[in-house]
Amino acid sequence: MIVFGLVLLLLALFGAPLFAIIASSALWSYHREEIDLSALVIEFFSIAEMPVLLAIPLFTFAGYVLSESQAPGRLVRLSQALLGWMPGGLAIVALAACAFFTAFTGASGVTIIALGAILYPALSQAGYEPKFNLGLVTSAGSLGLLFAPSLPLILYGIVAQVPIDDLFLAGILPGMLMLVMLAGWSLWVNRGTAQPLAAFSSKKVFAALRESIWELPLPIVVLGGIYSGYFAVSEAAAVTALYAVIVEVFILREISLKQLPDIMRESMLLVGGILVILGVSLASTNIMIDTEAPQQLLAWISGYVSSPTTFLLLLLLFLLALGAILDIFSALVLVVPLILPVALQYGIDPIHLGMIFLATMQLGYLTPPVGLNLFIASYRFERPITEVYAATLPFLLILLLSVIVITFWPSLSLVFL
Amino acid sequence: MLDRLARWGKAAEDTVLVLLLGAMILLATSQIIMRNMFGSGLIWADEALRLMVLWLALAGAVAAARADKHISIDVLSRFLPELGNRIARTMTHIFTAAVCGLVAYHAWRFVASSREFEDTLLGGQPAWWFQIVMPVAFALMSWRYVCLSVSELIRLFSKSSRKASES
Repeated sequence: MIVFGLVLLLLALFGAPLFAIIASSALWSYHREEIDLSALVIEFFSIAEMPVLLAIPLFTFAGYVLSESQAPGRLVRLSQALLGWMPGGLAIVALAACAFFTAFTGASGVTIIALGAILYPALSQAGYEPKFNLGLVTSAGSLGLLFAPSLPLILYGIVAQVPIDDLFLAGILPGMLMLVMLAGWSLWVNRGTAQPLAAFSSKKVFAALRESIWELPLPIVVLGGIYSGYFAVSEAAAVTALYAVIVEVFILREISLKQLPDIMRESMLLVGGILVILGVSLASTNIMIDTEAPQQLLAWISGYVSSPTTFLLLLLLFLLALGAILDIFSALVLVVPLILPVALQYGIDPIHLGMIFLATMQLGYLTPPVGLNLFIASYRFERPITEVYAATLPFLLILLLSVIVITFWPSLSLVFL
Repeated sequence: MLDRLARWGKAAEDTVLVLLLGAMILLATSQIIMRNMFGSGLIWADEALRLMVLWLALAGAVAAARADKHISIDVLSRFLPELGNRIARTMTHIFTAAVCGLVAYHAWRFVASSREFEDTLLGGQPAWWFQIVMPVAFALMSWRYVCLSVSELIRLFSKSSRKASES
């Protein structure tokens, strides 16, 4: 048993696909419990029994369409027109645009590639220090994870079985907190040097608004449609996907029909990767619950920890370590079913737990040695990885501070519910 | 020969992905329109959409296997020398091929029993028509990882034999 676990761990560390690792451990456990191995397939098939899951391929595809079009450039120009008059405004432009974009593309590294390419040179031109730029663009690449309709929010709702529209509302203030803290820090660091880009001009704002006229309704359509009751979350995803295709392919003609199959394929690679992990982890969760793993974990923890505060602190440390090695999607499907029942026993709201979980995992994108954003930034901007580590560190610490606030201040997440 | 097979395979994947995703978007949006404007909808649409998610997920997974783009941890490869990396990749590919093969076999058994018990979906259609995608997709993934490990092995040996002949 232990040998088998070690072999799996080694294979995982050497880069074996996580779905194969999870599937083999589930098959092994079924074998030990003398359950027919086709039980794994039965669990996997329940992917076809979750209506909300429809949102995942559709939002992902919509996000890929937007990032392949000229929308990122328009988004940056609009933010510049709105915020560029402030000293240090461009840093805030970068943060706001990245957060908005990530919410729609689901923090898969697309933000750094699509927006970083525009923002990084713009920031250097405006006289920001190279180290600051690198850190800012790298850490902004996963900002916005807590804003609707981000993929991890939806996946948490599916795994924890809480309403996704509640999660969308809950994410607003914690997401804003992260944004505001990073913006404040950027202003502070550049207080002596940063010049305002330009005076505020209503003409420029108007031009930028006009240019983005087709993309601007998207958040309103998505959120308005959901909260007015016209459609469910999965249907909002379908509307977003159709709308994005109509606008970028047929109205603005920035993506040709020929490109569309490639974009579909690229986006479905990611979706297939996530959903296969979800499918096999349904089986491993099923065994975990059969063998009462959450109860055992609770019994063990409650031997040491009695107060919710101590529990939250331990949870935070555990999630930070987890985020440093596992990607957000695998961590969600594997770990949430285990810790949710335990957290409930300590009186933690499942929605609040979701915010803690996702906010902490967002740090995982930036923690050495394997944070995804660090590698993408290193590759995209052709800087050595150690330089990216150092540049990102202050941003990581600020975000850590915001995660601590989110963890120990539940009403920040729950105020709208 | 194998090249042509690979090209056809990729074209087939692309076609399946494009058709499924396109149908999914149209079906889901037409449901909204019908419900909000006429207060009706297709009864089978929701179930069909859920089955399409399963198909799309598996088609995407097969495509990801072709590109070797499945989500993995991948910590050590950045610190290993090239040769160590090759060996590690060969082993993880063989492992993944074996796991996918095992899942495909049990998925096949699942489909066979569903056929035997005449399970139905979508108001009376045989369920195995829709479930067959699971053994097929996992078998294809297994095949992909066999190919990946074989090509890794060939490169490994051609390199070491070249080195041996040089010394």
